[in-house]
Amino acid sequence: MKIKTQLFGEIEFKEDLIIKFVPGPIGFEQLNKFLLIKADDDIFYWLNSIEKPEIAFPLVGIRIIDDAFPEERNFEPFGIVTLNSDVLKITVNLKAPVYINQISKTGFQKILDTDKYPIRYNLFKE
Amino acid sequence: MLILTRKIEEEIKIGSDVTIKVLSISEGQVKLGISAPGNVAIFRSEIYEKVKMVTIEASESCTEKPKDLSKLKIRKISDEDERS
Repeated sequence: MKIKTQLFGEIEFKEDLIIKFVPGPIGFEQLNKFLLIKADDDIFYWLNSIEKPEIAFPLVGIRIIDDAFPEERNFEPFGIVTLNSDVLKITVNLKAPVYINQISKTGFQKILDTDKYPIRYNLFKE
Repeated sequence: MLILTRKIEEEIKIGSDVTIKVLSISEGQVKLGISAPGNVAIFRSEIYEKVKMVTIEASESCTEKPKDLSKLKIRKISDEDERS
């Protein structure tokens, strides 16, 4: 399959790489098929919609921020990142993590029932 | 909008497998018990709306990626614990 992404231009991939979200991420429930793309030069992943290739969510693995983050069996927690040209304004949504299982190729987003994790958590410090 | 009046311990069914029960009522607050299958997502509306807003912002921020991140340190949750 081929899609035209905003960030990486046209990319070709095998169908077995598709990660299914049923439902899709919050606010994007109708989007169910994604590619998880990792550029090797930094910490970010990109969850790129296949149905609407112009839509992508920057992600970061939450394990690099918090060792004690709530686990979901066999799933890896990611936070949706709001990027900013001013790096100190880059935030991660820890309140509503995206859990992905890269073996079963499934994912879901959850809203945590705790106030410990903010919706806008500053990712970097000087 | 359908409007129903319920007393404490009374329930409302939405479809065949979602049940909402009024558990208690006190000054300006209602406590509800919700039974639903695991695949039914239940959210506090205002938090859902906030998460949705941030997710939309994130999807629109893709092109804002700064070039050089090598000098920056990841802010860890445990950093906060040390400070407090």
